[in-house]
Amino acid sequence: MKLLMIDDDTGLCELLSEYLSSQGFEIQSVHDGEQGLKLAQANDYALILLDVMLPTLDGFEVLKQLRQTKLTPVIMLTAKGEDFDRIFGLELGADDYIPKPFNHRELLARVKAITRRIEHINSLNINTTNKLLVNGVTINLAAREASIDENTLTLTGTEYEILALLCKNASQVVSKEQISEEVLGRRLASFDRSIDMHVSNIRKKIAEHIKTERIKTMRGSGYVFIQGE
Amino acid sequence: MFSSKASKSGALSWLKHPRHYLFFKIFVWFWLTIIGTVTALVFLSNISVLNLVSNEPLHGPMEKNLAYTARSIERSAYKHNRSLESILSHPRLSKRKLLYLSAEQSDISFTNKETPINIDLSLLNFTKNMPPQIVFTEQYQAFGPVQLTVPEGVFYLYEIDINNQPPLFIRLKLMPGWIKVSIAIIASLILSFLFSRNLIAPINSLKKAAIKLSSGDLSARAAISTNRKDELGVLGRDFNSMANQLELLISSQKRLLADISHELRSPLTRLKMATGLAQMQANEASQSYLLRIEKEANQLDQMIADVLQVSRLEAKSQTLAMQKQSLNLIVEHVLNDAKFEAKQYDKQLTITGDASVTISCDEALIASALENLLRNAIKYANNTISIKLSHGDAVHIEICDDGPGVPNNQLDKLCEPFFRQSDARDRVSGGTGLGLAIAKNAITAHNGTLVLSNKDQGGLCANITLPIIKE
Repeated sequence: MKLLMIDDDTGLCELLSEYLSSQGFEIQSVHDGEQGLKLAQANDYALILLDVMLPTLDGFEVLKQLRQTKLTPVIMLTAKGEDFDRIFGLELGADDYIPKPFNHRELLARVKAITRRIEHINSLNINTTNKLLVNGVTINLAAREASIDENTLTLTGTEYEILALLCKNASQVVSKEQISEEVLGRRLASFDRSIDMHVSNIRKKIAEHIKTERIKTMRGSGYVFIQGE
Repeated sequence: MFSSKASKSGALSWLKHPRHYLFFKIFVWFWLTIIGTVTALVFLSNISVLNLVSNEPLHGPMEKNLAYTARSIERSAYKHNRSLESILSHPRLSKRKLLYLSAEQSDISFTNKETPINIDLSLLNFTKNMPPQIVFTEQYQAFGPVQLTVPEGVFYLYEIDINNQPPLFIRLKLMPGWIKVSIAIIASLILSFLFSRNLIAPINSLKKAAIKLSSGDLSARAAISTNRKDELGVLGRDFNSMANQLELLISSQKRLLADISHELRSPLTRLKMATGLAQMQANEASQSYLLRIEKEANQLDQMIADVLQVSRLEAKSQTLAMQKQSLNLIVEHVLNDAKFEAKQYDKQLTITGDASVTISCDEALIASALENLLRNAIKYANNTISIKLSHGDAVHIEICDDGPGVPNNQLDKLCEPFFRQSDARDRVSGGTGLGLAIAKNAITAHNGTLVLSNKDQGGLCANITLPIIKE
């Protein structure tokens, strides 16, 4: 499985590629934003590890431009404590973030959580026409796409996973902890807003086609996908 | 941090203790001085009314002129044999200034034209035997006498210059006494006030700036005009340049700390990564050392994060993710972790009251403040940690331990970064020395207060007050 790492810390790139290749990943690393964006647009990577502070083009700009054409999963490498970076990255469509300096095991867990889906797709592709229609939103479990009246929603991998999870459990409250564990493959940290960010992105994308709210927030407990008006 | 008691007392305290205020002293002294001076002047000018007539010898052209006039009157009296009255009424003389002729023996007198009613020329009769002079009176100046002899007898000639407008001091004198007094009081009051304010304003401005500086507001400067050249002006400018220097030094020191911490992260990330790689290949023996390296790296990581958080909070560059949130939810969350931690140390956590109130806050920041305070309390408690929650106009949270407490003179310093009460407190318990600094700054960022105090029966109490912002 091929990963792209965009980080100007060459030493870290070397160590990381050594580590991840020992775990069965193939890593390509570049050290500036512009070059990274070109590679990301030209190839289909399983995952992109994207640093925020980059020469020529910063991480946010790379992500913004990449998202115009591609939905390749992106994990942002943010500085610890820079909450703004984290929230801004998720808003721009990053799938997850990991604060620097990170623990190698934690990084591996997140990378695996996101790439697992791709393996999942490949295994599921044989299984055809597995569709779910909930309250005007169609989930194509085989193609891993969501659509409304034949209009495909441009969801990132994480957003799709969250929407599919909510639709499968329509009318039931799905807790943030459950979403975090099933979709991001990690326990929800205290006061972590990333699930809220993803849900807010999904809402915006649904609202382009349907005016009424589909996903309701249950304060303190989680989210519900509303079935019926 | 220092605090000034003077700044806390009411604005009117100078009324209670006027002697404590230089402003008041100077003000009163100047006012009294001016009142005294004015009163003395008025008093003296009143006395001088009694001998308002004064005189000085007459010399020069004025005397010659007067003598010439006297000779010509004599001449026309003898030559044309005319009465003194008709000579005086002659246009040549009547066009001139007022002339006054007084007989030597009798009370007979003549003037060359109508005399204003209020003028009392008889005063001049006392000067008849004196040499020519200028006589100053309230209403006029008289030049004379010059003796002249006409068939009607011996006369003395005076030329009178009437003061059309009484001089200023005479008008003043005519005012009613109460007006004079109140003018003097008001004028001197205003003058003294302006004077003393001018003197005290820079001192007050210096005082305010010094209090602000000492309480940590490094941008405070004394508002002193650059045009002021006296000692106070110089003092103010010196103070400001000192404050500039101080701000520069402290801010560059803080920035350096933040910059170093930030830069330390890249090598730390690589260190952690390399440790991870080594762990994969290490044998049993070196594994424990690698675990130790990992643990120390994590400690370093936490310290760097704390330093950066404190410096961001102090520099107010932390972006607060303000959200309306039930305080109960935050407290519950933190307390769950704390209970677990307390249990590990075999200590008890008692909670009274509740915090079922919604406040607008950055929950992660408030949680980290509470976490740090609780961790501190758990660390130093002997047996129990008590938490009291209450809310009214504001939220109050009290976290107390039953430990040894802290000497009162060190209470203020507890919230300073890296302050350690005694050398005995080491890092074995796992703190970074920044917990209380983070707590204090996080609470201040929410416009709340954190007060640390010792309980009478021993133990440290942290009192948190958070405002409830009403929509």
